[in-house]
Amino acid sequence: MLAVANAFVGRLRSVVEKIVNVNPIRYIVNWGKLYSLWPVHLTTACCSVEFGAANCPRFDVGRMGVAQFFGSLRQCDLIVIEGTVTKKMAKRVKKIYSQMASPRYVIAMGACAISGGLFYNSYNIVKGVDKILPVDVYVPGCPPRPEALAHAVLLLQDKIRKGRVNITDGE
Amino acid sequence: MSAIYFSVGPQHAGSGHFRMKITLQGDIILNAEPDPGFVHRSVEKIAETREYLQNVPLIERQCLSDVSSVTLAYAMGIEELLGIEVPPRAQYIRVIMCELSRIMSHLYWLAIFGIFLGHSTMFMWPFGDRDIFITETAEKIAGARVSYSYIIPGGVRYDLPDGIKEHTLKTLDYFQGRLKEYDAIFFSNPIFKRRTKGVGVLSRPDAIRMGVTGPTLRGSGVRGDIRKDEPYAAYDELDFEIPVFSEGDAYSRSLVRFREMEISSSIIRQAFENLPEGDFKVKTRKKVPEGEVFSRVEAARGELACYIISDGTRKPYRVKMSTPSFRNLPGFSLMKGSMLADLPTIWMSLDYWPLDADR
Ligand code: SF4
Repeated sequence: MLAVANAFVGRLRSVVEKIVNVNPIRYIVNWGKLYSLWPVHLTTACCSVEFGAANCPRFDVGRMGVAQFFGSLRQCDLIVIEGTVTKKMAKRVKKIYSQMASPRYVIAMGACAISGGLFYNSYNIVKGVDKILPVDVYVPGCPPRPEALAHAVLLLQDKIRKGRVNITDGE
Repeated sequence: MSAIYFSVGPQHAGSGHFRMKITLQGDIILNAEPDPGFVHRSVEKIAETREYLQNVPLIERQCLSDVSSVTLAYAMGIEELLGIEVPPRAQYIRVIMCELSRIMSHLYWLAIFGIFLGHSTMFMWPFGDRDIFITETAEKIAGARVSYSYIIPGGVRYDLPDGIKEHTLKTLDYFQGRLKEYDAIFFSNPIFKRRTKGVGVLSRPDAIRMGVTGPTLRGSGVRGDIRKDEPYAAYDELDFEIPVFSEGDAYSRSLVRFREMEISSSIIRQAFENLPEGDFKVKTRKKVPEGEVFSRVEAARGELACYIISDGTRKPYRVKMSTPSFRNLPGFSLMKGSMLADLPTIWMSLDYWPLDADR
């Protein structure tokens, strides 16, 4: 009985997925995701200085419809890893990521988040956040300039715009 | 009523990479235990594997909001080991950079303090003004926004560019006008006063016993400042005062920082007035002679000390940093017995920077 039901749900899902990925619908769904990229309140290391600057009057990434801090993890779509992830922090980062509802995107900011950067031979860091999370956009720099972060957001939006809608995402 | 236990951070914008374990009964904090170590990146251990000059950017990263003072402590130590005399022009440029860095660090603090107290204007204004300092002065002088590794053993990396004096003085004119507005909208604001006066009182004997440093110490009525006690760079040739407030509450700690921004502006003006001509750097050797040295500076958050042991090779044998944020960590015990609503006030009035404490 269960097997039959599962097979039915599976078939339904693939049909829905096909319909959703027809161009106009796909476009509308993606458009909805584009401008609600709210990041999680999480700072992991010194790149947060430039993340703060990116949010503030001179650069104001907020005008692209992103980076408006929001309290609840359930309503966040974006997690920006701001620099080094230490072993102690890695546990928390994973936990926070798993609490976010899909669709969810990851930006790895700074040399440390990409590969360890300046601290590549430290005993207490995770060498590259892509070891624990699926990263969408990498922003090089130490720390990256706020303009670079803004560019990363644009790249991510481009990626979402072109991407397929995946309704089984996050299961 | 039974007590509840929860943690504030690390997933929280203001807390940064830091966690407070709070035990709460009703509205009163029974116990507040700080949990640092989220950004322990073993700077001291890595420093042993790199050459003296390569360590400058590494050590700088431990306090990215106040980079000049950190690198200055390290550079001063190595200069003492090498036995070299830094040219006076470099000393003045160092003073200028350290004071700029102090202003920027205090502006960063003010922004976060503002948002912690729910005052969003005070979040936007200092951050915007900080960016003016970055682009108009620091970036023009040192060539990078925040991580410029400008102060190196032997002097500074480049000479001041043409026209920087006018740029800086113009920025300071603007900034001193802004300080008056800050005062009107924030520091003299009755709501701000009600939220900070008498909150988190650290008495003078307690401050000395806990070993806190910097504005936290000066807010408790102790006149302790390395710039006066043990002058380094060109501070002994400049005329400035040390703000001290004796109440020991969050309000006096914030006023210390507020006054310091004004005083730093005047120090920068004086330094530009008296800026001598000459070299900005002397040549240094890669190998540092054997020995131990202890150097200290007054960073934005307090006394920052650096202890270096050299074994005569190109790499240090040991670099130990004693950082102000770590020394201010016992201050978090002030939360005990206060109301939950006072937690952000006490937190930010200590100006804790987790990277600086964990290293
Ligand atoms: S990339 Fe540079 S600025 Fe960013 S966390 Fe690493 S060391 Fe700090």
